[in-house]
Amino acid sequence: MNWLLHLYPARWRERYGDEFRAVLAGQRASLALFFDVLGGAVDAHLHPQILHSHANQTKGDDTMTLAMLQRCTAGGARLSPDDRRIASRVTTISALAIAVLSIVLTKIYREAAPVQALIYAAAPALSMVYAQTAYLRRRSWRVQAFLLGGGLSGMYLFMLAICLIAKRL
Amino acid sequence: MAPKTKDDAELADFGRFSEPALLILVSLAEGPRHGYSMTEDIEAIAGVCLGPGTLYGALARLESRGLIEPLKSEDRRNPYRLTALGERALRARLDSMMAVARTGQRRLASA
Repeated sequence: MNWLLHLYPARWRERYGDEFRAVLAGQRASLALFFDVLGGAVDAHLHPQILHSHANQTKGDDTMTLAMLQRCTAGGARLSPDDRRIASRVTTISALAIAVLSIVLTKIYREAAPVQALIYAAAPALSMVYAQTAYLRRRSWRVQAFLLGGGLSGMYLFMLAICLIAKRL
Repeated sequence: MAPKTKDDAELADFGRFSEPALLILVSLAEGPRHGYSMTEDIEAIAGVCLGPGTLYGALARLESRGLIEPLKSEDRRNPYRLTALGERALRARLDSMMAVARTGQRRLASA
């Protein structure tokens, strides 16, 4: 059942992988064990901050201010210049792609609700792209695709519903 | 059971890992142990078989809060030990549970 360990984030495997294998080897394979390991993997992806967060909290002189900044600022203190640069590039390319798509779709479908929804969703979607690209960059591509795809789909569907309702009024 | 003191509150927001975390602290109260030894000890004292997913979910939380710390080890099995903060948190949690147990027993006796 060691293959299940690959479901855990890479940082988690580096830290606990060997110990985890030793405990896993001592237990009898069962469905309960399978779901326990699976649940642990989901938890490790959902709560990456539990790794070494105490060590990080106790470093530095101004930890309370830093924690506040990390929680409150968009593109805040935790982001490296590299993170911000990549997030800005992805956001700019996304903005250009949405602009081109909106122009083409407006030419073809004029003021159809799905096209209007795309235009209205563009601004919040771009800020979502920036934030998620910056903060999720070190997460696996599956987590990034799930969160970003889910967020953008949700935003577009919400705008589409608003446009459809507005057209009926 | 709502925490009554700051030390008692250390384990309160562990969610589904609260009980495993408490059992781990109880196991480590006797001295440093590695993961496999903890699962055996916990099974012996509480009859609960902790799977590795639950065990390491709780261990990671305890370590991140500074309630336990890993010790250097030659082999791949890192032992862990209670920190002073972990000892205070365990003491506070057990005191709080004892108070509830005493109240329950007193009420049952007088019923």
